Amino acid sequence: MGGLVLRNVSKRFGPVGVIDDLSLEVGEGEFAVFLGPSGCGKSTLLRMVAGLETLSAGEIHLGRRRIDALAPGERGVAMVFQHYALYPHMTVRQNMGFGLRNVGMPATEVEAKIAQAAALLEIGDLLDRRPAQLSGGQRQRVAIGRAIVKQPEAFLFDEPLSNLDAALRARTRVELARLHQQVPSTMVFVTHDQMEAMTLATRIVVMNAGRIEQVGTPIEVYRRPATRFVAGFIGTPAMNFLPVAAVEAEGARATAVLADGMRVPTAIPATRLPAGPLTLGVRAEHVVAGQGSPAVVEVVEHLGERTLIHARLQDGSALVYAEPGDSALRAGDAATLQADGSAVHLFDGAGRAYHAGLNP
Amino acid sequence: MHGRRTLGDHLVLAAVVLLAAIWVAPIAWIVGLSFKPNDELMRSTGHLLSPPFTLKNYADILGASSVFAWMLNSAVVAVGQTVLTLAVASAAGYGFARTSFPGKPVLFALTLAAFAVPEQAIIVPLHTLFAEADLHNTYAALILPRLAFPFGVLLMTQYFKAIPAEIEEAALLDNASRFKVFWRIALPLSLPAQATLGIYTFLHAWNDYFWPLVSATKPEMYTLTVGLASMQTNFAQTEGIGFLMAQAVFAGLPVLVLYLFFQRHIVTAVAGGAAK
Amino acid sequence: MSGAADVLAPGAAARPVAAASAAGVGRPSLLNLLFVLPYVMLMLGLVAVPVGFGLWLSFQDYDMLGGWNGSVGLANYVNLLSDRIFQGAVRNTLLFVAMTVPAFVGLGLFLALALNDGLRRSAVLRSVFFGSSVLSVTVVTLIWRLVYMPERGLLGTVLGAFGLPEVNLVADERLALLSVVIVTLWWIIGLPMTLFLAALQQIPREIYEAAALDNAGRARTLWSITLPSLKRTILLVAVIEAILQFQIFGQVLLITGGGPNNASRPVVQFIYEAGFRDWQLGFAAAASQVLFLLMLLAALGQLWLGRRQDRG
Repeated sequence: MGGLVLRNVSKRFGPVGVIDDLSLEVGEGEFAVFLGPSGCGKSTLLRMVAGLETLSAGEIHLGRRRIDALAPGERGVAMVFQHYALYPHMTVRQNMGFGLRNVGMPATEVEAKIAQAAALLEIGDLLDRRPAQLSGGQRQRVAIGRAIVKQPEAFLFDEPLSNLDAALRARTRVELARLHQQVPSTMVFVTHDQMEAMTLATRIVVMNAGRIEQVGTPIEVYRRPATRFVAGFIGTPAMNFLPVAAVEAEGARATAVLADGMRVPTAIPATRLPAGPLTLGVRAEHVVAGQGSPAVVEVVEHLGERTLIHARLQDGSALVYAEPGDSALRAGDAATLQADGSAVHLFDGAGRAYHAGLNP
Repeated sequence: MHGRRTLGDHLVLAAVVLLAAIWVAPIAWIVGLSFKPNDELMRSTGHLLSPPFTLKNYADILGASSVFAWMLNSAVVAVGQTVLTLAVASAAGYGFARTSFPGKPVLFALTLAAFAVPEQAIIVPLHTLFAEADLHNTYAALILPRLAFPFGVLLMTQYFKAIPAEIEEAALLDNASRFKVFWRIALPLSLPAQATLGIYTFLHAWNDYFWPLVSATKPEMYTLTVGLASMQTNFAQTEGIGFLMAQAVFAGLPVLVLYLFFQRHIVTAVAGGAAK
Repeated sequence: MSGAADVLAPGAAARPVAAASAAGVGRPSLLNLLFVLPYVMLMLGLVAVPVGFGLWLSFQDYDMLGGWNGSVGLANYVNLLSDRIFQGAVRNTLLFVAMTVPAFVGLGLFLALALNDGLRRSAVLRSVFFGSSVLSVTVVTLIWRLVYMPERGLLGTVLGAFGLPEVNLVADERLALLSVVIVTLWWIIGLPMTLFLAALQQIPREIYEAAALDNAGRARTLWSITLPSLKRTILLVAVIEAILQFQIFGQVLLITGGGPNNASRPVVQFIYEAGFRDWQLGFAAAASQVLFLLMLLAALGQLWLGRRQDRG
């Protein structure tokens, strides 16, 4: 077993760059999640690790071996595909044994490994069925079982939950987390679903347009997004972004003055901020009602444990905020809103984030 | 459809049934003829349903007809052509659909162009080439030209493309070699297309006429179609109408039986490619 | 059958397959060429080379018996165009196409509309109409020569039963071609019928349900929903049948022999006789090129008409 290292990896399809000079280390036994919108290159990156796509430049190492020139089967990785990719004409048993027999493993040993994986995944009574006779969730388990029997150095998951219905997806997510405890291999998981990323990952790699935006634990990525992209991509509802009209220094700290005149005294050191236009980012739960700028309620979403209120400030910018429990507000009501300065972020024109406290 | 039956419905049904009778009548007629004594048919064909009946025409096939030898030739050619076409077209279809190699776009474009060339456009030069190679009147000459079958390759290419690439990628990750992916994964999954192409090729080979007519000129190399055609040239003088019809029934029977058993597949095979 | 099958092989009409995409599974490798190599060699040797050789032949004085006597430029083509029998063959072929194509479209469409339901009766009838197309041309012509046989034939017998005089289609200069048209329809009506049936199955049920909610009657539904949905298929069938019927050969050779008085000789029979009876290879090759050109023009013309109608 070993960690996965990507060094200066690039991928171009003709003149189109998909991955641009990307470097990353995933530690041994980590559960890394590549998270990003579709087309950001996360699946391509995973397929490059698997050997299903060639590299235009760079190196990939797994454990102590450099693997980027090896055939897919020689890399010591196993992959769980988005549509499972089970062999339709083989039974579950044959599906799981195919890779083992291809490397010449004796039949008794193959059987033992299949039995072991089947017990772990509770699919022992499905072994003689064909994929067409299985439910979606069962196929998912077989696909995982086919990966487990190979005892790979790294597991690769390519959006494996996206084909399941909502209830099954939630359950499988928990099972995957449990699996990672039982099979402590390195795991790389690709998804566009932030919920999957937040719940499964030991580290999230947020990608956008072929680049890594941020690498960090789920809480880091949520609390201290490195860029405006990460801030907007992670969290539901999405972070509010409000244009900053002016920045004033009050002591060492910066106070942001918004377009509608709202003053937000932040905990961000004023000296660190660049010149040029800034944007203020604040999550719904960090907007305080009952003080500050006047606003008009436009839509009220009752979610049960909390209520999301979509409001509009006087300068026309939209703002979503949350109230715990139910709310009596209705569309058209007036409200006054204030961003909690201790929890806001500032972003410069290039999207770079500035937080309070220890900032790079 | 819903609603009550109208007069129009009944008229349409009557027309279709009448047409069906026209389609069946000629076949029923010659089957009837084949069971009648030849000397009676010389005088009249008007009493098909009344005795005397005879099986002599069929018995004569066993002794006095070349139909058996021709049928054997047809079988060798049709089976050989089918097996070889499936092998050649499957491999090529897979190559075009799923692998990359230098020159692929050019070769694929050539295949599309070859698809548009009708048999009549090349039969004269093809015949000359085989004559120069002294290959006429052999099974090889009857089979070879039909193996260059762009339609089969395009059909298989389309089919292999429809198989999810993920499944083959999973096999690559399972340490299967390129050929093993083709042989153990793609080929078994293409069985429906193999059936379509196989049935199509077999029927085409069995019923082929123009090329065998110009290539197989020795009676012992005749296929069934050419052999039956050779008997029709002195049709006017024939004294054995019943015998002739017995041979026609005997020749037509294998494909009709095949049709009854594999009707759905055959209809798909014949129409499927064009409909796509 | 061999006729019906030919449709699919040289059918420039069938929708062209999308060009193979560059991306495949796995890495590019010269070894992958091995998959297509057998086919490529067969195609080059048995299609590409003959096409080139045929073109070359058409400009040569090449006789199977007299051998090669050098290039003659366009002489073969000039002789061809002034050849009475060839002119007749082109006319016969065009007439044959003009008669069969509308008949295949009309009858095929009628049968498909009448038999497109789940009834067992319809399934049996569909089998009947398709069944004859699995027979080879020689079996079909054996059957129909017996039908057309003077005095003792089925046609004469049936006409006699109704008290009508006998018509000898095959021996009549004006009717010989028609006799072959009838045989051809009988033989391979199954293909157009099946293509239309497949297209009818493709029309979404919801459209008919919407039409029913819009109070459309049966005739109106047929005219405003079904037929417009079949436009593409009608064009496809017309093009396929045109290409197919341009190649008319076996039925004529075996039923009328091209007669009487050349009244039913088609171009392919002309090629056959020039190339394989008279052994004038250059001349026959030139005739082949003309036929190929005619087919191409007919197919393109129909496609162009279809496209113009689409716009109009």
